[in-house]
Amino acid sequence: MDDDVLIVEDLEKIYSGGVHAVRGVSFKVKKGESVAIIGSSGSGKSTVLRCINRLIEPTNGIIKLNGEIINNPLADVNEIRSKIGMVFQSFELFSHLKVLENITLGLKHVRGMNKEESEKIALEVLDRVDMLDRIDAYPGNLSGGQKQRVAIARSLAMHPEVILFDEPTSALDPELIGSVLQTIRGLADEGMTMVIVTHEINFAKDVADRIIYMDKGLIEEEGPSDIIEKPKTDRLKEFLSAMDEE
Amino acid sequence: MFPKEERIWAWQKIPESSRIIFFASIIIIIFLTPNLAEGYESTWDEVNINSNNNYNAAVIDSNGDAWVFGDNGVIIHGEKLTNWSIVNSPTVEDILTADSNENLVVAAGKNGVVIYKEILSNEWINIDIDNQTRINSVSINNFDEIVIVTDLGGIQIYKDNEWLQINSLTSEKLFDITFENERGLISGSSGLILGSEDNGLTWEVRDTPEIVAESEIISIGYYKANRAYAITSEGNILKSTQESLTTTVGYSWTIKEIESENYSTSMNVNLTSLEILSTTKILLTGEEGFVALSKDGGNIVTPQLLPDGNTYLKINDMAMENAFRGIIVGDNGKIFYTENGGEDNPVGFEIIDLSNFNEFVDFTKDNLWEGLKATVKIVIFGILLGFFLGIMLAMCKTAPTTLKQMIESDLEKTLILFWIGIPISIFSTRENGIGLGIFTFLSIISISILLDQYINKKNTESDGFLGILIPEQHRNKVIKILGLSLLIGVPISGGMNINGGVELIYSALVDFHDFQLGSDTPKLSAQLAYIFAPIGNPSAFFALIIGIGLTYLGILFILTNGTFTKKTIYAGKLILLVILWTVILTELFVGFNLDKFDLNVSNLMKFGLLLGIGFFLTRRIIPKLSRKEIKINDFSISIDPWSLRPLNSIATLYTDFFRNTPLLVQFMFIHFGMQLGKHIQNIGVDFTGDLAIISSYLGPLDNLISPLIEYVNESLFGPGKRSYLSAIFALGLNSAAYQCETIRGAIAAIPSGQMEAGRSIGLTYMGTMRLIILPQAIRICIPPLGNEMVNLVLNSSLASVIAYTELTRQGKLVVAITFQIFWTWGMVMIAYFVVTWTLAILLRRLEEKTRIPGLGISGGN
Repeated sequence: MDDDVLIVEDLEKIYSGGVHAVRGVSFKVKKGESVAIIGSSGSGKSTVLRCINRLIEPTNGIIKLNGEIINNPLADVNEIRSKIGMVFQSFELFSHLKVLENITLGLKHVRGMNKEESEKIALEVLDRVDMLDRIDAYPGNLSGGQKQRVAIARSLAMHPEVILFDEPTSALDPELIGSVLQTIRGLADEGMTMVIVTHEINFAKDVADRIIYMDKGLIEEEGPSDIIEKPKTDRLKEFLSAMDEE
Repeated sequence: MFPKEERIWAWQKIPESSRIIFFASIIIIIFLTPNLAEGYESTWDEVNINSNNNYNAAVIDSNGDAWVFGDNGVIIHGEKLTNWSIVNSPTVEDILTADSNENLVVAAGKNGVVIYKEILSNEWINIDIDNQTRINSVSINNFDEIVIVTDLGGIQIYKDNEWLQINSLTSEKLFDITFENERGLISGSSGLILGSEDNGLTWEVRDTPEIVAESEIISIGYYKANRAYAITSEGNILKSTQESLTTTVGYSWTIKEIESENYSTSMNVNLTSLEILSTTKILLTGEEGFVALSKDGGNIVTPQLLPDGNTYLKINDMAMENAFRGIIVGDNGKIFYTENGGEDNPVGFEIIDLSNFNEFVDFTKDNLWEGLKATVKIVIFGILLGFFLGIMLAMCKTAPTTLKQMIESDLEKTLILFWIGIPISIFSTRENGIGLGIFTFLSIISISILLDQYINKKNTESDGFLGILIPEQHRNKVIKILGLSLLIGVPISGGMNINGGVELIYSALVDFHDFQLGSDTPKLSAQLAYIFAPIGNPSAFFALIIGIGLTYLGILFILTNGTFTKKTIYAGKLILLVILWTVILTELFVGFNLDKFDLNVSNLMKFGLLLGIGFFLTRRIIPKLSRKEIKINDFSISIDPWSLRPLNSIATLYTDFFRNTPLLVQFMFIHFGMQLGKHIQNIGVDFTGDLAIISSYLGPLDNLISPLIEYVNESLFGPGKRSYLSAIFALGLNSAAYQCETIRGAIAAIPSGQMEAGRSIGLTYMGTMRLIILPQAIRICIPPLGNEMVNLVLNSSLASVIAYTELTRQGKLVVAITFQIFWTWGMVMIAYFVVTWTLAILLRRLEEKTRIPGLGISGGN
């Protein structure tokens, strides 16, 4: 129980248009564990991820980070978010800032560090994602893979308890995916707690300690990474065969 | 490790704070540069004579020669006001006063000294009075007889070569005597004015206003036979006019309420002398280098400047040959000379060939240059005001704070706002005016936010606001109580009551009803006159708007049930509700006459019963009806009162108002209607006055600070600055509404993922806005903002209607003088083009400099 970093209980989300995106999802993430959430489009997996750091307010359910309920309207949402890293599908680098400034921004303005401290940490994390040679470039001049690695560095710099990856490779060209996956795999090996929403079945199998398959807002199947090899439910089988055809 | 790009220009390396200080100083310098068109250059030239005596009196005789008299009997002769020389004096006593007419020049002073000279002679003749008294003033009557008044209240006439004592009826000090033909006037202490109709042989006391009863009337004078003025040493101006054709001037005196001193009766200057140039034009001098001209009989008194270094000089007397040429004299051997009454405007008859373009340009270029500078000044401050207000409004418009959020997450903050912040601010406003009220409000808000940050600094768990956290089970009750308080306010009698929403609406409607607009004609169209009601009683109108807002919130909060979601109402139920309440309200209010309403038990019962039935049906019965029972089930309406965004509503009201009224009308409403410039000027003068008081406690620093304060006061809030202030605000407020929409559009164009990314690293909403969204949005909206700024420059020409002398108005003035319409307007047009084109180029350059790779499609690489 103590090593559960993240606990999601009976999470439910109804969008204001009436769409019932998530219909009661529960799972736990242990410290150092990486969990992959897979599923077809519209299965609610991105919504789950966004509910965890309250970019979307859940309609019902409880989310605990280190045992503390975080989806209470009275909780300090900024404090919580600074402990949860998030990597987006479309990178969302701050295009008016250079690579280095993208990373030091949060350190300076959220953690209150000075220039030297924040740059030290920034260079450290840029080294981890192998982006030291482009620290003075603007995001607009980077390739997709490089952008995503900077985005990963940006969330790493805040020393988060857990990093959420929202389809980190689906906006990338196939030849650029490799470097990003390599980086994420490196983080997994270092023992970073991660929740990854992805379409890359093989990557999920490779990196994740546990895989959650979601369909129509519910967890259809959950287990160690070999459920990809031996799916129990028909839906997962269908999903996997559809992915194979692509 | 840090591969830095080579920079030729190391602007970025300068620390941010220094850059801000740099820009701020440039702005302050521009803001405070005096507008020469409104300022006054000294046109008093110093006359150089090697003498340090104090000069006490001056006259100009009928030859046009000046005579200046001073301490130790010194006499200076200024031939035609140009050749100055010291002449031999028959006395060594201090000479205090002088006068002249067609034949004589006469002077008098301490210890009974009196000297005179005939115009054609060069010899001064001594006719001292024996009794050693101090002669304060001397004058010459219609028979060329010399008349003097003394410090002890004596009057003597030099008749047939000997001094004749006249009964003065008083022992007050007498300060001044003057004659106009056979009529004479004498002024003295304790508000005394004596008059004579017989060349000074007999005198009588004339009525003076009560307000000067304790004052010393230091100088008095006629203008011909139909106007007389007098001044006191305390800075009052007295005026006497001919009351009818048969009476003469000088009998009844009124005190001027000086318009340029905010209708005060005093200028707060120790005045020393007075010279009357025409029925309405008077020149005044005073201690501390004070020289002032009024062209309208003392309504507007315009101070004039002496050359530098004479700020504290005591000016003792002046003499004018005509309305333009004259001298003033003072202590330390100072004599100043002017050719145009001390005014800035050159008066002369230089012949200019206005059909010669060269001479025309030479003649008008100063006007246009001043106009251009005036335009640039209001434009710069209009742009700054508009831009900052625009950003604030745009942020208000895009702010996601809904009522739901206010109540659900920020209930404690909302309570402090409504129960502490607003009531205290209202009390403060009642006590000390709106300015301090707003100040109190902002202070309470910022102090509580800072305090909260201090209290919650180390806590990661939220403990509510300021450490107050209302428990879950009581929150709904508190919200309902809050709602009730918004509806009924604080109904304590005396000065302590604060009206709630219901009372505000009620009293505003009563106020509007009292106009009885359109009551003469029963037609519906006549009732349309009520659209003008807001201007008939603006405070009632604001009360109505605030009342509606409070009532909305109050009802919403009272009806809360803990879920702040939208409501879906089936059309059938809605129709039932509408019918129910129409019936109830009709029953209650048709034929309802406010004036005759009797607050008795049966009326109250009727109200209570009907409202009770209405609420019971609304809350208990109608919601429980099923669709089948209502038989209309295919149509529903969703209402979501909790998703109202208060900040957005306020900003929308603002932009709607300013975008839907013409700028020209806004200019006139703001300047002439609201007199915004005047109010800001008053506030500014008070504020700088307070600063000066604070600065006076600073000891030696005061010498540094107080001139600065004085300078700011003069250049921002000085006379003639009202239209300047009004113009800045009219342009800025209007432009803000347009810039707000432009910036809002740019914010909307930023991908929502940027906000999510900013929030996900833990920045607050405002932090993300400031550090991530706005820097990108502003870059996007530079072109449309540039467009708006160019518009603002061109719109500034409308400031000419409020008498602000900018480029267009200068153009009108030039046309009025020269009639060269084509040239003038062409030159004005070129001047505008230069300003806007420069602005456009700067903005284009800025756009290129700030372009970010990968942000937007901008053409080129």
